[in-house]
Amino acid sequence: MSKAASMFHPKRLDLSGFVNTRVIRDHNKRNAFAQMEPERQALRYIIRNTSLPQRTRAQAQLQLSQMHCYTRPTQIKNRCVASGTARSVFRDFRLNRFQFRMQALAGELPGVKKASW
Amino acid sequence: MFLGTTRSLVGASKRLWTPISIRSLSTPNQPSAPSTKTSTTAPQIKAEPTPTSATSPTSATPMPVKESAAFEKPPVKEWLVELWRSLTTLFNVLVLIIFLFLEYSRSDRLADLEKNARLPRSVQALYLRPLRRKAEHGLPVCDLQLRSYSAENLEFFADFAIRAAYYLKLPVSGPVPLPRITQRWTVIRSNFVHKKSKENFERITLRRLIQIKDGHPEAVQAWLAFLRKHAFYGVGMKANVWEHESLDAGKALDASLPEIQKTVGPHLAQFGQREDNKRPGTIFDALDNARYAEPKNL
Repeated sequence: MSKAASMFHPKRLDLSGFVNTRVIRDHNKRNAFAQMEPERQALRYIIRNTSLPQRTRAQAQLQLSQMHCYTRPTQIKNRCVASGTARSVFRDFRLNRFQFRMQALAGELPGVKKASW
Repeated sequence: MFLGTTRSLVGASKRLWTPISIRSLSTPNQPSAPSTKTSTTAPQIKAEPTPTSATSPTSATPMPVKESAAFEKPPVKEWLVELWRSLTTLFNVLVLIIFLFLEYSRSDRLADLEKNARLPRSVQALYLRPLRRKAEHGLPVCDLQLRSYSAENLEFFADFAIRAAYYLKLPVSGPVPLPRITQRWTVIRSNFVHKKSKENFERITLRRLIQIKDGHPEAVQAWLAFLRKHAFYGVGMKANVWEHESLDAGKALDASLPEIQKTVGPHLAQFGQREDNKRPGTIFDALDNARYAEPKNL
């Protein structure tokens, strides 16, 4: 049973913007999840379906747990597109708080202004 | 200090430059050089400078001859300068005359226009409030919501939309200013630590609602297509369109059912499957497949 993450590496780098090892890894996880999602959902359906025989359900449980960890949705973490940082990334802009501030001050984010109230 | 010195230098250069140029331009025949030769003959000649007095000392010494020859040239140059100057003045006068003539005719024409002509009605209408059709029944057909971060763009495009609706003969109400959406973010100023120093940012989305009343669905679609074609930068659009049917819509639906089933059939056959994952058989066939029964090597 091979657990190598390299199986999810694309042949060519299909990323633009800020590229980092961690950014690439996260991208691979996203691809892996997208690729294996139907299978995961099918297995989850089988596990939860009480009308199916117990043996089948147990087998499905085993299979699901044996899938690669990259295929789990919980592995995906939002990262800043400008700096690759994983902490305090705004979903609205896909930017780190500091990158957000820099870009907002530079006027690169439409409509975002300094607030005082 | 440095500035002061430079200024004084510039002033000195000006003082040095100006008298020479004026003399050479204003008195072409006056010999300025004789200061050297007069020193040899007599100092009185300098007081009354004439061509004769200038030529007489030249014969006395060989050196001043060359100098006088050199000073013979300037008169030609000066003559040319004089000619050029007169020509330019003449040209200027001519230009002035032509300009005055043109100005007069233009003002005349403008006055004429004001008296006898007017702008086309469609252009004139731009300076006035947009015209509107009257709604007969007041049945809402379409709700158009405009959103923007800048009020000018939004107002402009709302105005444009209302004018377009008028020419499509659609009764319109609005623009109704909807509540603004204010989003605020507070971020730490620095990229690392210093948590107490923060900065606030906000984004205010302005909204306007334009409602079309009892318009024909096709006219409404044409209006929406027109607005989309001439979409303004920084203004977003969202439309809710309602269509109204007659009371016996049920019968019409029943009649059209077989045809709808035919068209929907191929789509329903793919129910629960993704477009890119077409396989023969149902999902249960796939689940019964040996591929699912085997343990995964992932």
